[in-house]
Amino acid sequence: MREALRKRAAALAAGAAALALALPLLAANHPGSRENFAIIERGRYLTVAADCAACHTDPHQSTAFAGGRPIETPFGVVLAANITPDRDTGIGGWTDRQFDTAVRQGKLPDGKRLYPAMPYPYYTKMSREDVLAIRAYLNTLPPVHNDVDSNQLPFPFNIRSAMWLWDALYFSPGSFKADPAQSDIWNRGAYLVEGPGHCGACHTPKTFLGGDKTRLQFQGYSIQGWFAPNITNDEAHGLGRWSNADVAEYMKKGHNRIAGASGPMGEEVADSSSQMTEADLNAIATYLKARSGQTLAASSVAVNDPMMVAGAAIYQDLCSACHRGDGHGVPYLIPDLATSSTAASREPTTLIRVVLRGAQTVATKDEPTGPAMPSFGWQLTDAQVAAVATYIRNSWGHAGPVLTEDEVRKARGNLAARND
Amino acid sequence: MTNLSRRDLLAATALVIVSETVARAGVVSGQLPWHPDAGSPPEAVRPGAWQFFTEQEAAAVEALADRIIPPDPQTPGGKDAGCAVFIDRQLAGAYGHRQGLYTRGPFVKGIKEQGPQSAQNPAETYRAALAALDRYCKSKEGGKSWIELPGERQDELLHAVESGTVELEGIDTKSFFETLLKDMQEGFFADPIYGGNRDMCAWKMIGFPGARYDYRDWVGRHNERYPYPPVSIAGRPDWTPKKT
Ligand code: HEC
Ligand code: HEC
Ligand code: HEC
Repeated sequence: MREALRKRAAALAAGAAALALALPLLAANHPGSRENFAIIERGRYLTVAADCAACHTDPHQSTAFAGGRPIETPFGVVLAANITPDRDTGIGGWTDRQFDTAVRQGKLPDGKRLYPAMPYPYYTKMSREDVLAIRAYLNTLPPVHNDVDSNQLPFPFNIRSAMWLWDALYFSPGSFKADPAQSDIWNRGAYLVEGPGHCGACHTPKTFLGGDKTRLQFQGYSIQGWFAPNITNDEAHGLGRWSNADVAEYMKKGHNRIAGASGPMGEEVADSSSQMTEADLNAIATYLKARSGQTLAASSVAVNDPMMVAGAAIYQDLCSACHRGDGHGVPYLIPDLATSSTAASREPTTLIRVVLRGAQTVATKDEPTGPAMPSFGWQLTDAQVAAVATYIRNSWGHAGPVLTEDEVRKARGNLAARND
Repeated sequence: MTNLSRRDLLAATALVIVSETVARAGVVSGQLPWHPDAGSPPEAVRPGAWQFFTEQEAAAVEALADRIIPPDPQTPGGKDAGCAVFIDRQLAGAYGHRQGLYTRGPFVKGIKEQGPQSAQNPAETYRAALAALDRYCKSKEGGKSWIELPGERQDELLHAVESGTVELEGIDTKSFFETLLKDMQEGFFADPIYGGNRDMCAWKMIGFPGARYDYRDWVGRHNERYPYPPVSIAGRPDWTPKKT
């Protein structure tokens, strides 16, 4: 993360330098240079809001937007493309229309289709002006020669033309239509969340082919060994107990009185939302808090269930020092498990992962500590992890099913194959 | 630059090298480094056969353990608590071989503060001392070995060893006894994952709550009994869900 941040800074500096070099040229070619600057700056902001760098900048390389970062999909890995203005290996030779078609329609200049690892199904909601502003910003970056062979998928997913079928099933092109019945701020939030923010890419449940289950939009999905929780206003599993200000603060600082962002959301906060304006973050909060989710009725496990008894003992001995006996933790430092959607969720991916492996929250300018949870995988057996997880998801008003030793064993196996 | 001596040159070079090294020291900025599964967990001893002692030596050490920490109705003695197992694993490991310590000569008897100055490591010392103890008993106690002596006689002998009135042949007897006493106590009170303190018996005896994280809630609560049972690094029995 630190490395990524440093590289971002380097990239921005490089971008600024390139901008300075490019300005006289622009001024020579276009009479309205001030207007151009405004477009480029808007493009820069949108590139951050859309978090293009998350995928197109390889954290192990020093070159921004030169591609090569492996993006996990349910079917295998796709490498993000080089989107610097290099003529041979980047997008330097593309027309604006070709760029727009790639970003909003998922189609390459030669007519081939992109894999939805590139979030065009969300970017399609962006306006053409916004996409071209992004292009204008990308054009100011130094061109980097880096030939990326994106398609690393196994047969049969490596057949690009099969993607027309996927598009037919799951892709509904078309830019965002404002809802006149809603406020401007709601509409701005909806645009950011559904379009550039591509929040659904992680937070919306997917079909087995990786298409959005639109009926369950934003109700939680597992990606990259983490669970991206329900971010609707659902009282039991989502943001129901968060205020609008809580949501905006989390996006800005990576921390609020309830939770801290880690894993993919930590990256999202560091690279994108922490750099967005307060107004936009409030808009996002307004939109999410206005979305209702479906609350699933659940019954909690009895306190004298052996899993609960063992879980309570472990929680008392190992966890309560930080998360406190009442589960409320310490605001901005230690997550509030009593209010946490990670704890409330029926999906235990993050719960098990964090206990086994530990985790570190993101450090931001406003909350520079980035506290971490220690790993307990060496100390607790699978049955004990299952017990303490069962206890957490059935205390302080949560109600979730008993977690089994087997589920933890599987999760431990899956984690062993990951280095993050 | 006229009068630069060899010495100045060397000093200057050293300075350059030093400042080079200092300049290369890592600076952590932004977020603290973090790794998944971080931590260097302690290694629990493996149960089973003796790793250092012979059967005979082990029996002698177990008898010593029960004389130094005798059982009573509430608490097992040193033998049942596993003190001999603890010492066995320690002698088979880093402690027994003085890993990480300076072990070459000269071997001159030093003052107390200078610590052990022996050419022998603790493993060798134990082996030699246990053999010398048996030789002593055989010659002075009517041909009986140490473990064959009645308990009261063992106690008398140990008192004599402790006070220095009995010298075991070729052994710094007083200092061996000090080591033995310390190792027994460590075995009795150390976390059970190291082989002694079976079922946290020693902690239960003195009311020590074990390897707990945090006592802040209790700092201000005087004259009140702390309600939680002791917990080892490996947990406590309540951590394991009962089978239904
Ligand atoms: C979640 C990861 C992800 C994000 C975020 C993302 N991309 Fe991509 N992008 C990809 C991947 C992966 C590919 C390669 C897909 C393929 O080859 O089918 C790609 C391909 C592209 C291409 C086609 C380039 C080529 O030469 O094939 C363009 C243009 C592009 N992205 C632009 C953008 C822009 C602009 C943004 C931000 C608005 C963005 N991407 C954000 C993952 C991402
Ligand atoms: C790359 C995947 C990804 C993207 C894109 C993403 N999120 Fe997340 N999000 C996650 C994960 C994973 C978590 C859980 C983080 C944790 O457990 O610390 C999360 C957590 C959150 C939370 C906290 C929920 C809680 O109850 O703790 C909020 C709010 C949130 N995301 C909002 C958003 C919004 C708004 C967007 C779009 C602007 C977005 N996320 C985009 C993966 C993502
Ligand atoms: C040293 C303090 C500390 C201890 C002890 C501790 N935690 Fe944590 N815990 C944290 C911190 C800090 C985080 C935030 C880390 C993150 O999400 O990246 C956290 C996060 C979590 C989360 C994720 C919460 C969320 O909303 O995303 C769960 C679940 C959790 N801890 C459970 C436990 C359990 C179970 C134990 C005991 C076995 C435990 N913790 C012990 C500090 C601690």
